[in-house]
Amino acid sequence: MYALADCNNFFASCERVFRPELNGKPVIVLSNNDGCAVARSNEAKALGIPMGAPLFKIRDIVKANNVAVFSGNYALYGEMSARVQAVLREFSPSVEQYSIDEAFLDLTGIKADFDAYAKAISARCWRDTSIPVSVGIAPTKTLAKIASKLCKQYPKLKGGCYMHRPQDIEKVLRKFPVADVWGIGRRSVKKLDVMGVKTAWDYAQLPEETVRKLFALPGWRTRQELRGIPCIGLEDLPQDRQSICVSRSFAHEITQPAQLAEQVANFAEAVVEKLRKQGSLALEMVVFAFTNRFKENAPQAHEARVVVFPEGEADYRKLVPAAVRACQEIYRPGYGYKKAGVVVTKLMSAVSATGSLFADSEAAQRDARLSGAIESINRSFGPGAIRFGVQGSGEVYSTREHQSPHYTTRWEDIPTVKL
Amino acid sequence: MEPQQLFEGSSPEFDFLGEVKAGFPSPAESIREHLDLTSLLVRHRASTFFFRVDGVSMVEADMDEGDILIVDRALEPYNGCRAVCFLDGEFTVKTVEISENGAVLRPANPAYPPIPVGPENNFSVWGVVTWVIKKCTP
Repeated sequence: MYALADCNNFFASCERVFRPELNGKPVIVLSNNDGCAVARSNEAKALGIPMGAPLFKIRDIVKANNVAVFSGNYALYGEMSARVQAVLREFSPSVEQYSIDEAFLDLTGIKADFDAYAKAISARCWRDTSIPVSVGIAPTKTLAKIASKLCKQYPKLKGGCYMHRPQDIEKVLRKFPVADVWGIGRRSVKKLDVMGVKTAWDYAQLPEETVRKLFALPGWRTRQELRGIPCIGLEDLPQDRQSICVSRSFAHEITQPAQLAEQVANFAEAVVEKLRKQGSLALEMVVFAFTNRFKENAPQAHEARVVVFPEGEADYRKLVPAAVRACQEIYRPGYGYKKAGVVVTKLMSAVSATGSLFADSEAAQRDARLSGAIESINRSFGPGAIRFGVQGSGEVYSTREHQSPHYTTRWEDIPTVKL
Repeated sequence: MEPQQLFEGSSPEFDFLGEVKAGFPSPAESIREHLDLTSLLVRHRASTFFFRVDGVSMVEADMDEGDILIVDRALEPYNGCRAVCFLDGEFTVKTVEISENGAVLRPANPAYPPIPVGPENNFSVWGVVTWVIKKCTP
């Protein structure tokens, strides 16, 4: 059994933690330079503010409805994300952080009333962190994702939904658009539309051979998952093109921080290479490291860190140092690391981004050469021997007129309470 | 729950062991223990938050302007707890007296009246205050 815990309108919810008066009011969070709305509370969605709407286009709605507007505060979001993850770990020994606001839990071996369990996870996240979380539990990861979406649609479910009876699954899938199924890419949707496949149920009913022929192994796995047959394990990474992963199991356990950092730097570099090849920018990067879970008496660690790039990023000089820094945060002495990896998720096309990064291929090559030189120096003298001057947070800001304080990460910014 | 680095920077550590410059090896050399203030003050990392005090309504409860409050959302509010409350659009800290008829927020300063809380108020206990950090030097 798997659970998917998805934070509702995560960035907007983070902004409400220390501003409870904004509960029930429309809230939006803007992209870098205060350009577009990248997160919306339910109330903002109800006002008809579309995802990605440029601020200048929605100024009237914002003004007329007194919408609370925030610039992205990624220090706050990252820290709140780590808190939610810590709560989730109390409900399962294996938690896979999928993105800054989503995590899968492997519930294998856990005996519980899963409907109550889902609701309990949601309630605990709310009590401890003040973040509303939708928890779906189902026999496969793909179905768990769908179950968590039901929680958002139906407040009656109290944040938790256990979906397992075949007749319930059928009822839900018959209404669930195939385009919203995890792992079904935009290109597949076009093909499916022509074939008259509109819902998740339609897709699950397609003959196995057809699916294999048209959508290869990943598409077949999604079909099986929709039928309740688990095909995607916890460490398997999402099969859609919305992410790129480079990871490896090590022949020998790594115990030294410098060694682990070196591996992670290599993975990050390989990821950037692929990212640039397909012309994408990454909005998020996940760095993870696991101990050997089959070694029973050894201390276990299964950690991940998310780095957010609000504008999208495909630059070695940004991604590699950020990955190394995340790795340093994950590393704990006394643990033997067996596997590590770097994943970029939430990819967007570089062409649609402002100021195309790939317009200047000479500059891109220069980046690559520079990166290579730095790599070889660090190989000889140890990671971090030479570093990027910009190495810091992986976040680039310019305009952030509406940014909230760094409530949870800077002493001078902690909230004040009037007595 | 596994330990997690939730807060920026490192936590304060106090080493009790001085360095041994010369002479024969200290028997304490291999023992590396320290006191971590976070382990004392923060029981639940995921649910613990910090607030700074502004105002004087709780001076008799030893909460003065500029103090830092450690607040744990994981604790169930109990009768007589001091808590960060959210009342009609604002945060405040008071002693919470819970009874069958509702709650009363009691200040710890005779100059301030108690605040009865009823169903007409938008009220919630945000988190229970577990520690007060007070600076003693200017």
